[in-house]
Amino acid sequence: MSGVEIPTPQNPADGLAAVVALRRLADRLEDAAVEQAMRGDWTWSEVAEALGITRQAVHKKHARRLIAAGVDLPRRR
Amino acid sequence: MREFGKYVQAVTERAAEEAQQAGATTIEAEHLLLAMADEEGDGRRLLGSVGLDLQAVRDALETEFRQSLTAAGITFETDSLPGASAAPGKPSRLGTSGKLVIERSMLAVGNKKKAQPAHLLLGVLELNVGTVPRALDLAGVDRAELKARVRELLGDE
Repeated sequence: MSGVEIPTPQNPADGLAAVVALRRLADRLEDAAVEQAMRGDWTWSEVAEALGITRQAVHKKHARRLIAAGVDLPRRR
Repeated sequence: MREFGKYVQAVTERAAEEAQQAGATTIEAEHLLLAMADEEGDGRRLLGSVGLDLQAVRDALETEFRQSLTAAGITFETDSLPGASAAPGKPSRLGTSGKLVIERSMLAVGNKKKAQPAHLLLGVLELNVGTVPRALDLAGVDRAELKARVRELLGDE
């Protein structure tokens, strides 16, 4: 990834589209990062703490997907 | 009307697969567009007439995504963008933009009994801002011209 400087979008349409795209990118990064952590030795609590959200929220958002992806999840930690 | 209902159902089911692949939890306008480019019918024929097959729609949406990220100052080398993780289940609900497509197509119908499959594409083309119209513009599609073509097929003015 390159380009850390955030230009001012030229018009509202571009600015709003950038927001949509960034949210989508953030979701993709979250999915990938949570999966990587849970495939490693992270616990739900640690992932939650790192993301700054509750354990329940992380679990609700990702558990089904990770199980479907064949990740061996800790039962309760 | 029956044909329209059947078509909407078929497209929505196909769109749900696209949404799932994209990791989405709801069916959005872009998934409906992808489904229409793939599902046998007037939608596919009309989209095909302006060079939009399924792959072309996918490419257009990807280009829009990348371009919008660029507007936010983020650029990626080709293929280094993290891909979407598929959602665990097929979404069954339409999201806000998906609902808007249905609403706009019903508005375009006027007389409910005269709804035809192509009205769904008209609903997509009635979106003026957001991901889908931006992607269509980037694909070089003249939306007004395509809309006129759809209306012609539908026998409107």
